Amino acid sequence: MVENPYFLKEGRVLKVVKECEGVFTFHIATEEPAEPGQYNMLYAFGAGEAPITIASVGEGYVVHTVRAVGNVTRSIDSLREGDYLYYRGPYGNRWELERAFGKTLLILSGGLGLAATRWVFERAMESPVKRLIHLYGSKDYESLLYKEFYEKWAKGAEFHITLDRPHPEWKGRVGLITELLKELELEKDAVVFMCGPDPMVKACVKTLEEKGIRAENIYASLERHMKCSVGACGHCMIGPYFVCKDGPVFRYDLIREYFERKEV
Amino acid sequence: MEGKGKGKGYAVSHEGLRKLFDLLSSEYELVGPALKEGVISYKVLRSFEELPFGCKSMELAGYYAVEKADGYFTYVRPSNSLKTFLHPPELTIMRVKRENGKLSFEYEYPDKKYCFFDVRACDLSALKVLDMVFLHKNKNPDPYYASLREKVFIVAVNCTNHTNTCFCTTMGTGPEVKEGYDFLITELDGRFLLEEGSERGRRLLESLENKEEARQEDYEEKERRLKKVESSMKRAFETEGLKERLYGRMEESFWEPVGKRCLACTACTQSCPTCFCFDLLERASLDVSERVRVWDSCFSPSFATLHRFNLRQSVHSRYRQWLMHKFAYWLDQFGTFGCVGCGRCISWCPAGIDLREEVKRVAYG
Ligand SMILES: Cc1cc2nc3c(=O)[nH]c(=O)nc-3n(C[C@H](O)[C@H](O)[C@H](O)COP(=O)(O)OP(=O)(O)OC[C@H]3O[C@@H](n4cnc5c(N)ncnc54)[C@H](O)[C@@H]3O)c2cc1C
Ligand code: SF4
Ligand code: FES
Repeated sequence: MVENPYFLKEGRVLKVVKECEGVFTFHIATEEPAEPGQYNMLYAFGAGEAPITIASVGEGYVVHTVRAVGNVTRSIDSLREGDYLYYRGPYGNRWELERAFGKTLLILSGGLGLAATRWVFERAMESPVKRLIHLYGSKDYESLLYKEFYEKWAKGAEFHITLDRPHPEWKGRVGLITELLKELELEKDAVVFMCGPDPMVKACVKTLEEKGIRAENIYASLERHMKCSVGACGHCMIGPYFVCKDGPVFRYDLIREYFERKEV
Repeated sequence: MEGKGKGKGYAVSHEGLRKLFDLLSSEYELVGPALKEGVISYKVLRSFEELPFGCKSMELAGYYAVEKADGYFTYVRPSNSLKTFLHPPELTIMRVKRENGKLSFEYEYPDKKYCFFDVRACDLSALKVLDMVFLHKNKNPDPYYASLREKVFIVAVNCTNHTNTCFCTTMGTGPEVKEGYDFLITELDGRFLLEEGSERGRRLLESLENKEEARQEDYEEKERRLKKVESSMKRAFETEGLKERLYGRMEESFWEPVGKRCLACTACTQSCPTCFCFDLLERASLDVSERVRVWDSCFSPSFATLHRFNLRQSVHSRYRQWLMHKFAYWLDQFGTFGCVGCGRCISWCPAGIDLREEVKRVAYG
């Protein structure tokens, strides 16, 4: 008999960090091997499941950052150290980091999209990438994630943050991520990884192409409605692709036709 | 003598069929067509008499009526499809128990042993398509589907009639049954040709009394009858190169006309023998929660919801998703069309939308 893909595994919550209002980061004990770009389905009793990206890993644990937006995510965000989390995965493909070896790698993160790029960014800092740039756009000061790492990241890469809205505490950039991107001096053969809301991805691709970056070198991690995560429920389809198993990371030239067309 | 089918052939009477039915129903839960409330549908059958012999459905886009006809297997595929049994409209996949902050999970696989008695060529192809989706072309094969599917005994029937919405000849799936059955029935004049298609089928037919070995004339009559149905069915559209043409027609303007007519009622996806999309629901009491798999539809207003917003707001975009999936995406995903030409979606569309006309209009118009 084949394995049950819906079977849930148990992981102890080792650590909880409050990132900002309604967003928590969890360290969950696991021995499950995973790759940057993949996600787990997290289960909440009586509520259901939600796909949540693997934000990073550590010795014997996996990191998930969850924003409470509905039943499942609210329930998960109420977990505390010592509680148990139930999940299945990892699912999906990975970022093709090796394509950026010896080249410039530009990472673009919008909002919670940073959770999906964090691990590959951390990996890239230890990889033979020639130049590493990471632009992170957040809607406001209050929503900034992973603040404790900024100093370290700024040492290992050209790491820049921009906020959509100004804030008295904020001394850095204010403006859309595309504005920051426009000013950037970029090699034409740079490889780009991005994750953010659909409109941000579209706007960034446009700017990148104006800079001579080819769609074949741009990768985007997409978010779609997911129920099964194993290519069986049909919810996550975009054109002929199942985001749950063919993605979530897509080479942009392959999905452009569907992604840029309205209501596909 | 060697039959046109894979195995040996016999000729039996109406009584012989009854005998086979009884033999099968002693070992299997027998699913077959029956006339119920004016509609021929698949259901669990208790007796041979329930088979709708001598009934015939008259079907048009958005129209269905049952008439009398001369003969036995005079009807075509039933109104509902076999996915109802292998991919049930509602299935509990897991029971979750909560105790002291920890969860435990129980799941069992459905153990029903079905015999599908009277499967037409189009529906046999549909089973093959579902097998691709749930088993062969999926890295995570579905154990619920698998546990039901692997036990199924299939009695196929060659169509010697068709209805107006049938278009199996267009999709290359019928009316002749070619493979994937345990034994095959073809109605001849006053008798039935039985052809074995598997070891199980062979053993069953062998155990049957009062049968004759099929003669050359029986096979010739079968050919004649199949030719007759086939030649009376028009080819609705060209399938060669259809995928490529559709990929070139994703522009909204091609879909808006049908979007104006479609009610997004989901009747087509429900009646379709290959539409597999589902939702996972949670049915919870205080300490027990059931995870329930239910049919869903790309026409439903919440199907592609992201951040409280359905990505496919317009009805025409949902119709495009459905048709593109059936005739284009499906080929890239599973190596076969998602449509088998059974025509159910045409008969059961309350707006009378004829899928064949839409394919023609969009792809070749
Ligand atoms: C590959 C992938 C990775 C993700 N990674 C993260 C992450 O790291 N952190 C995080 O906080 N969120 C992430 N999300 C989004 C997260 O899955 C949804 O916010 C979550 O499913 C909402 O579930 P809910 O029950 O709490 O809310 P619901 O009550 O179900 O709904 C809240 C809103 O979220 C939408 N939604 C519901 N289910 C999904 C779904 N399965 N996918 C997308 N949207 C949905 C609903 O349409 C609704 O608009 C990711 C999504 C995907 C597809
Ligand atoms: S579509 Fe073909 S195989 Fe199916 S019921 Fe009609 S004639 Fe028979
Ligand atoms: S989430 Fe079910 S098919 Fe992708």
